[in-house]
Amino acid sequence: MQELQQLAKSLYGEHAELVKAVIDVERCIMAIGGEMHSDEEAMLLEDGSKQQYLWGINIYPNKLKTEWIEFDSMINLRPSQHNRTRGVENLALREQITAIVGKLVEP
Amino acid sequence: MIIHKQLAAGRWYELSLTEQLANIGSEVERALDFQKRKDDRAIPAFERSLDLFDLTLADARLRGRYKEIARTREVVCDYFVGDNEYRSTQESLRRYFYPYFLAFAKNR
Repeated sequence: MQELQQLAKSLYGEHAELVKAVIDVERCIMAIGGEMHSDEEAMLLEDGSKQQYLWGINIYPNKLKTEWIEFDSMINLRPSQHNRTRGVENLALREQITAIVGKLVEP
Repeated sequence: MIIHKQLAAGRWYELSLTEQLANIGSEVERALDFQKRKDDRAIPAFERSLDLFDLTLADARLRGRYKEIARTREVVCDYFVGDNEYRSTQESLRRYFYPYFLAFAKNR
């Protein structure tokens, strides 16, 4: 968690509150530290991920674990998967993403 | 330059990147035109461009070249349905795709 806080500051300045992350729900891995979600998406695609399993979030390391994940990214706009907003509309998918992030990030 | 939806997934991977971007640009252009006329068809055209972007991002031949494509997709989304934080304009989006239209026309 401390690492995320430092990463946020190094990317966005001393008062930064968030880091952008993209989760691969098939491979249960996460890319963070990109300037844009699409940069992280591209990195995971290069690494063999499939776009249909990639979802963008913002992580707020200074917030409580119940509210530290914000489902908001342009890469989530995917009409072909019936996701027509920047959020993640499927509740089960949101829970899956939350669980994966919870395992990957130590408090 | 329109590829019929039913053929898109199959034929798409026979096109070069230039041809794919020219086709994506066509849908973006269509969305921009509809937007200018305050026509509701802007969003369906924008969504079709996303479908085509996504086909390109699934094209294994383009490994190593996804970053710009993914960024462009994000910028187009930001313009049509976001806060336009990347300060795109109709003109700047047209300018991005124009070289691909030219290259496509030249190679036909």
